Amino acid sequence: MPAMVSAAQPVQRSFNPYTENGGTILAIAGADFSVIAGDTRQSEGYSIQTRYAPKVFRLTDKAVLAVNGFAADGNMFVKKVRQRLEWYRHAHAKDMPIRAIARLIQTMLYARRFFPFYVYNILGGIEEDGTGAVYSFDLLIYFKNQTPAPGTAFPKHLPLSTVLPLVIDSFTSATERHIEVGDGLEIYIVLSKGSTALQSLQTIRGIQELTATNDGERVFVIRRELKKD
Amino acid sequence: MFLTRSEYDRGVNTFSPEGRLFQVEYAIEAIKLGSTTVGIRTPEGVVLAVEKRVQSPLLESNSIEKIMEIDTHLGCAMSGLTADARTMIDHARVTAQNHAFTYDERIKVESVTQAVCDLALRFGESVHDEEAMMSRPFGVALLIAGIDELGPQLYHTDPSGTFVRYDAKAIGSGSEAAQSELQDKWHRQMTLREAQLLTLNVLKQVMEEKLDQHNVQLAQVTPKGFEILDEASLKEVIEAM
Amino acid sequence: MYKPAGFDFSNELRNNFLVEKGLPLPKATSTGTTIVGCLFKDGIVLGADTRATEGPIVADKNCEKIHYITESIRCCGAGTAADTEFTTALISSNMEMHALQTGRKPRVATAMTMLKQMLFRYQGHVGAALVLGGVDSTGPHLFTIHPHGSTDKLPYVTMGSGSLAAMAVFESGWVPNMERDQALILVKAAIAAGIFNDLGSGSNIDACIITASSTEMLRNVEMPNQRVQKERNYKFRRGTTAWKKEDIRSLIVDEQVTQVGGDEMDTS
Repeated sequence: MPAMVSAAQPVQRSFNPYTENGGTILAIAGADFSVIAGDTRQSEGYSIQTRYAPKVFRLTDKAVLAVNGFAADGNMFVKKVRQRLEWYRHAHAKDMPIRAIARLIQTMLYARRFFPFYVYNILGGIEEDGTGAVYSFDLLIYFKNQTPAPGTAFPKHLPLSTVLPLVIDSFTSATERHIEVGDGLEIYIVLSKGSTALQSLQTIRGIQELTATNDGERVFVIRRELKKD
Repeated sequence: MFLTRSEYDRGVNTFSPEGRLFQVEYAIEAIKLGSTTVGIRTPEGVVLAVEKRVQSPLLESNSIEKIMEIDTHLGCAMSGLTADARTMIDHARVTAQNHAFTYDERIKVESVTQAVCDLALRFGESVHDEEAMMSRPFGVALLIAGIDELGPQLYHTDPSGTFVRYDAKAIGSGSEAAQSELQDKWHRQMTLREAQLLTLNVLKQVMEEKLDQHNVQLAQVTPKGFEILDEASLKEVIEAM
Repeated sequence: MYKPAGFDFSNELRNNFLVEKGLPLPKATSTGTTIVGCLFKDGIVLGADTRATEGPIVADKNCEKIHYITESIRCCGAGTAADTEFTTALISSNMEMHALQTGRKPRVATAMTMLKQMLFRYQGHVGAALVLGGVDSTGPHLFTIHPHGSTDKLPYVTMGSGSLAAMAVFESGWVPNMERDQALILVKAAIAAGIFNDLGSGSNIDACIITASSTEMLRNVEMPNQRVQKERNYKFRRGTTAWKKEDIRSLIVDEQVTQVGGDEMDTS
């Protein structure tokens, strides 16, 4: 008898394909350089999945992409962007300029308007005119780096010798007060052709160069430990 | 000779025993019947010029369109079955727009040329049971002119899907004479003005009718973009010849 | 007006309605925690981390989670911070009253019973998950008390979000009749497992060793997560804030006191 009652009821099913894997990414553009950084912890709920999962990726010698959000989507998204970059290289015999990469990412994101990649992207690098650039994206479109409001001087470009300590301190502070941030830090630095900021990199402990071409732009990475609790 | 050929000259996707695709070769022959078209590259830009065959005094000569815009930085002149060129230029325009949409930059001249040639090769292609979308090769050759980060460039495409870059090129019925004239007169430091005059001079020599602003069309791609010269400026160039 | 004992649930219906309308309830600070207790030869060792969180944010980097019940009974709290603090403070008061009333050293089982009866009465709405340990006239005792009022009596226990990490250490390392130092090392290892592998736990280790003769509260017995030196100085330069007027006032109130009558206490 009671079985007859429930059979007619509509049942709503839900599909939850996303998770949030924590962490922090940031980027700062200078006059002739760009710094892109991210921590390396990947977590789900209160558990650490891994203490080393990179969130920052070198795309070309002019562009570095940081991804944050749902790690599976993030990794897949970077893979797809890299594939498109490779196709572009074959079709047009050159590396894609950063502005084109920004636009490409926008078209790739918007193509998934109704089933988005659960990823927040930040793209940093050097424009074709040699200036530092940062593009940030929501789930669907991009925004060019912040520029001073008309009639104001801030935000202004900072020298690399100021930016790097600032980035490191940002992450040690975030580690102190956010449970999903920690374990490791990767800072990518993209220098424009003949950038004078090169000197301030000379003395940095454990810096590693990742430059692949002879176009003039240079890419470096600095790796640091963060607290593990 | 003609008899042996007939066995292989119908199928667009059958090689003859000598390794030839006759339909493609015939298509290339068709261009030699077309009106003469000339293109010249200079450091300042690229000039395109075509002869318009005004077959009747009742024909509105300005309705003959043999030079077309592909994008703001790309132009194209044609010779042969001009109706076929519309399909190709449509494809080129879509490709250029798609590139601008996806990458927020102008497509390279070589890339758009490659895209057109990819299309030119798709004759006789069919998906299992269905009819092929294109039954024969295009009967038209194009001169694609444009400017990108590598500077002004001029490309020639033919029905076989081959493309080559030229400093100066002539196609169509008067192409042989025109090409040797170009070879004599072209030089590396040519100005745009010199190129305009040379294209018209070359056309004048191979045209049966007397050249005037109604039976030629002149266009150029400069850093300012693609532009077809209007009747007044064309007349001015002709008078300067 | 009749007012029944316990929580007032009359707003429950209204609150559910508001939640449905999209107004979320305010969230209490939860000590996503690692707390443990361990029996050894002479008594009990309790352990706790010192992180308090509000969602993903660290609210307190060095809070105290081992609460005083009596001199030889202590209680670690996990769950809603306010609930663990008030519950243990209330039971501590009642245990003191009980001791005065009976004239005896109170027993661990008494504290356990008072706690479970209170938590059961509130049907899980008091979000306290506790590890209670101590030594009384009947020997050492160790309990866990869950928010709904159920209890366990075991030789080694863990609670909080880091309980699985800590229990893994106990399961592999606990043996009966350990020495004091051995038990302390094991407890520290269990808390460290929580601190490093559970995001809800972090910062320092607190421990408390209770034996029949003494209670040692080892506050911050290990500090494996000291803040690292900043690269830059973020103090505002003196003179950053401009001012138009300076006015300095004394906050000390001068008061004339006149002695009237005697100084001695009234003992009548």
